[in-house]
Amino acid sequence: MSEKEKDRKSGSSRRVAGCVLCGIAALLLIASFAGNLLSSSESSRSSLKELRTQAVLHAASDGLVESFAAQARSEKLKELRADKNFRKRGLDEVNAICDGAAQEARTKAQALYANPKVEDRSGLEKSIEDLEGTLKNYNVLRNAEREAYSALYVELVDNVGDWTELTGEAGEDDEALFSLLARQCPALEKAENAHLKASFVSLARDMSAAEQVKKDAEILSQLKSAMAGSVSDWNALAGMDADALWEALCAQEDMLRGNERFRTEILAAAQEHIQAAANGETVEEAQADEGADTVYGTQTNFDYFKGTEKLSQLDENNESAYAVLWGELVSVIPDLDGLSDKLKSGMRDTIEGIVYPGDDSFETLYNTYTANVSSVQGSSFVMRLSASAKKLMLLGIALMILGAVMVFWNRLTRLFGVPRTIISVFFIYLNLAAVLYNISVPMMLGDILVRMGMYGILVLAMMPGIQCGIGLNMGMTIGCIAGLLGVVMSLQLNMMGFGGLMFAVIFGVLVALPLGWAYSKLLNRMKGSEMTISTYVGFSFVALMCIGWMMLPFNNPKIIWLLSGHGLRVTHSLLNNYAHVLDDFLTFRIFGVQVPTGLLMFFLACCLLVWLFSRSKTGIAMTAVGSNPRFAEASGISVNRMRTIGTVLSTVIAAVGIVIYSQAFGYAQLYNAPRQLGFIAASAILIGGATVRKAKVGHVIFGVFLFEGVLVLGQQIANAAVAGGGLSEVMRIMISNGIILYALTQSGGASRE
Amino acid sequence: MNKRRILEHVKKYAVTYLFIFLSVFFIIVSGMDIHYVASQLILRLNRNAFIVLALIIPIIAGMGINFAITIGAMAAQIGLLLTISWGISGVGGILLAAFITLVLGSLFGFLIGKLLNKMKGQETIGSMILGYFANGAYQLLFLFIFGSIIPLSDKVTIVGATGVQNTLNLTGSVGLYKAVDGILQVPFLTAFYVLAALTVCFSFYQYLRKRTTLPRMAVMVGFLAVLIVLTLVPGIRSIFDKTPAHNAIRIPVVTWMLIGLLCLYNTTIMRTKLGQQFRAVGQSQTVANASGINVDRTRIIAIMMSTVLAGWGQIMFMQSDGIGTFQTYAAHEQVGLYAGAAILVGGASIDRATNFQALIGTFLFHSLFITAQSAASNLFGDSAVGEYFRAFLSYGVIAVALVIYAWRGTQKNKIGMVDLSEKAKS
Repeated sequence: MSEKEKDRKSGSSRRVAGCVLCGIAALLLIASFAGNLLSSSESSRSSLKELRTQAVLHAASDGLVESFAAQARSEKLKELRADKNFRKRGLDEVNAICDGAAQEARTKAQALYANPKVEDRSGLEKSIEDLEGTLKNYNVLRNAEREAYSALYVELVDNVGDWTELTGEAGEDDEALFSLLARQCPALEKAENAHLKASFVSLARDMSAAEQVKKDAEILSQLKSAMAGSVSDWNALAGMDADALWEALCAQEDMLRGNERFRTEILAAAQEHIQAAANGETVEEAQADEGADTVYGTQTNFDYFKGTEKLSQLDENNESAYAVLWGELVSVIPDLDGLSDKLKSGMRDTIEGIVYPGDDSFETLYNTYTANVSSVQGSSFVMRLSASAKKLMLLGIALMILGAVMVFWNRLTRLFGVPRTIISVFFIYLNLAAVLYNISVPMMLGDILVRMGMYGILVLAMMPGIQCGIGLNMGMTIGCIAGLLGVVMSLQLNMMGFGGLMFAVIFGVLVALPLGWAYSKLLNRMKGSEMTISTYVGFSFVALMCIGWMMLPFNNPKIIWLLSGHGLRVTHSLLNNYAHVLDDFLTFRIFGVQVPTGLLMFFLACCLLVWLFSRSKTGIAMTAVGSNPRFAEASGISVNRMRTIGTVLSTVIAAVGIVIYSQAFGYAQLYNAPRQLGFIAASAILIGGATVRKAKVGHVIFGVFLFEGVLVLGQQIANAAVAGGGLSEVMRIMISNGIILYALTQSGGASRE
Repeated sequence: MNKRRILEHVKKYAVTYLFIFLSVFFIIVSGMDIHYVASQLILRLNRNAFIVLALIIPIIAGMGINFAITIGAMAAQIGLLLTISWGISGVGGILLAAFITLVLGSLFGFLIGKLLNKMKGQETIGSMILGYFANGAYQLLFLFIFGSIIPLSDKVTIVGATGVQNTLNLTGSVGLYKAVDGILQVPFLTAFYVLAALTVCFSFYQYLRKRTTLPRMAVMVGFLAVLIVLTLVPGIRSIFDKTPAHNAIRIPVVTWMLIGLLCLYNTTIMRTKLGQQFRAVGQSQTVANASGINVDRTRIIAIMMSTVLAGWGQIMFMQSDGIGTFQTYAAHEQVGLYAGAAILVGGASIDRATNFQALIGTFLFHSLFITAQSAASNLFGDSAVGEYFRAFLSYGVIAVALVIYAWRGTQKNKIGMVDLSEKAKS
């Protein structure tokens, strides 16, 4: 009783705190609203203009002052150098002396030039206005052209599988190369893209060169490991000269012959081995980079961008408008004319950045101007309020949500459970942060949709496992490997398009059926500790199949290691086969969001099928076994049979899932890559609200949305907020494993006994 | 009867015998120099024995393989990082790191124990996932908190960025390399003779106090005598002794004394009241609870001990001969996996383990580890297969042990159920 009272007491104080937070939030929202209203008023607009003129003048005078300071500094340095004692002085001392001189010159120059007096501002203001106009025109066109270029770039890079093949076919002939490129990306030949022709040809050449380097590196690393495997006694090779050593190596490893171009590298590696052997050590082989690229979608490289005629014309307009402004500035501060060309162009960049910061919002303008003015005068409080209206609003919303969650904590946790409530609030906060960092929401939404389709079916594979009572089926990696076998098989047969995809799916399912059956027999014998067993059986199977991938007799040169002639490669590009075929099926753009229609439809269709199955007689019996095996047994249901059905179903869905995953990712990854998939799927379905005993289709859909949403947003925001990656990966590890731990504590292992 | 007992013994130690066979086979196939294999094996025993021994107490307390020893390793690594950052070298540095490990390991162990008490019956998987989770927290700490919120010297941080360096050197002025291993090293054979002499004296003492019979003592002394005679055979002697081709294999005495102390600790604690409680809780929590033992508290103590011991084991690993660098972000990752696999190879199960099993398991597991790569390259013409084979062995042996354990459990249950139903009938 007393505990309940305590609970109520803490509950009431929590509710009061929540209400207070909501109150503060409301105040913030009102302030933000007021700021917004004020920002559009006439007086703030005009004072903003005034600020801009000041900022431009200040930038000009500041540039001048700094040029004097730099000059004084270099003169001082020259003077010190001439001195005999120069070498005796430390670097810090020299720096301090020079800085002192520069500071002195700066103060002197500031007294002269800071706050320049302007009698007639109208000329200056007009020229600034003109420059803003031309800059705006220029930037609008430039952005449009860059976007068009980016679309072409992405299409081309996505479509071309092997650049070396293209350049090899075309030879030195640029025209031929271009027509080959146009075959991959027909939009290139349109008249409006004629100006980009040379750029794309040089892009293709550079890409092919880069690819060649990569291929060579691959060959070299294979040669090295082959050599390390074949040479048994390094000590015997010590002390030879280069030619003799090369011959000795070739004699022991045939592969080296005919690869003379890697001779220097191989010899260096061999020397390293010999050195190590002399010290009684072995050289640890560098681990192959196992598909580290987790970049979804192609990033556009703008190095090859070239503008149209019209764009350069607009640029000329900029030039002339700036010349007018410069003339006005020189008439105010005559000494500006004496600056060097380099300083002039630097100053031009600064001034253009002030005049047109690339964004029209009050906040950006205000922040840009004030950053360039020595002291802000005028109605600064109102201005500041207007400028921070957006931040205030976001803060207000965040506090409001926090307050609401505190007030309704009990009800929310009863409805959604503690972790789901926390993760949902976290997701909303991430959205607010995305607005704060100006991250493009439509692009991210498109990303989330793709990743939902990508991981969705894998997450769905968890569901039958939970329903039939084996809990979280970490051994779904067995199904994944079956699916990957299907993918590799379709690559071996050079299959393309929908046919290839369907073949991979069907082949995968056919392999998954017997594997799943055998796996279910194993699990039926060890009721009660399935999760532990399935995890380690899954791990062992992945490790076993690592050997399998090396030994299986695939022989299509596109998928096996280039040199040794056997063994599958780690990462296989599906670009020439069926990458993104489902994504691109009936795809459309709405509000800037690219919707992968086919992918989502396939995912939802799978969900529907599983839902229909769970409504069937067998499905209901299976769910009964999962939620209460004793009761099910008593009512005449064969527990083992239902568990077998559930396990096989889970394995089969996983096989389908990995094929779809690979086509959406664009690459199939073998070896150790599938190992963690079980954990990802398990955490997603648990976040969706499933437990280790009960799961619904809704949990799958909601879970995969929330999980992928948090990951995509988190990654973008972490990149924007913290220099250096890693934070989003840490977040993924902690969320993913944290939710599984929570589910384990809730499952109450002891109560099972 | 006797036949049955042998059969049972073989069944129980099937994995161990398989590994003995595999080790011998691999050593032959790999074509590696036997001296090299022996020296590597002894090196790896020095490094890993301590961590593997840290797994015993939780196994006896019925908590399965404690894969959360990775968290102990993390505590040790935090200790080492602080030691390096403060610039304390040598034995003093090791002692400081050990002290930090004691404090942090106890705290972490307490938290792990609390959590594992909420998932009884799922400790193995729970501790494994807890290890993964803690890895996330560890990365957060090392990438974003150390060096910015918690200031460290620029010996360990990356200047101009956040976070700790990827690799830290333990050699040179840092002075932690071989800080324990290097104190006193004697040739392997000398150490072996001394140990043999001590054993003979000890068993004679036991005989005098009537704790052992004459035949037993005779067998022991005879066995040692055979071994000593074997070491005198030139072919075998040259494996361990100095020859023109190689140096003598040496043993770090202090390290082995510490390992011996831990073995002694593991056996003596089982004779205390606490040890009896561990055993009681491990056999049946219900019975233990009924007889007035605080089950949850006992389990927490077991995990705390294991975590701290594993942390110390990680320190021993880091300072040991042939390592020399501290892979800040990855050194702890495989600790749980390799230690768990090693103890299972030695014939331990999810609920039973001894010092001897831990040591023999480490020995066998690492003998495979050393030879797998060249053996696979000789067998299949590809050294990468050996790498994968090692991974398969580690995971596979754990999977097999889990399956055997779970299978026995269900069989017992079935028998129990049959008994009950028969009783109900009568």
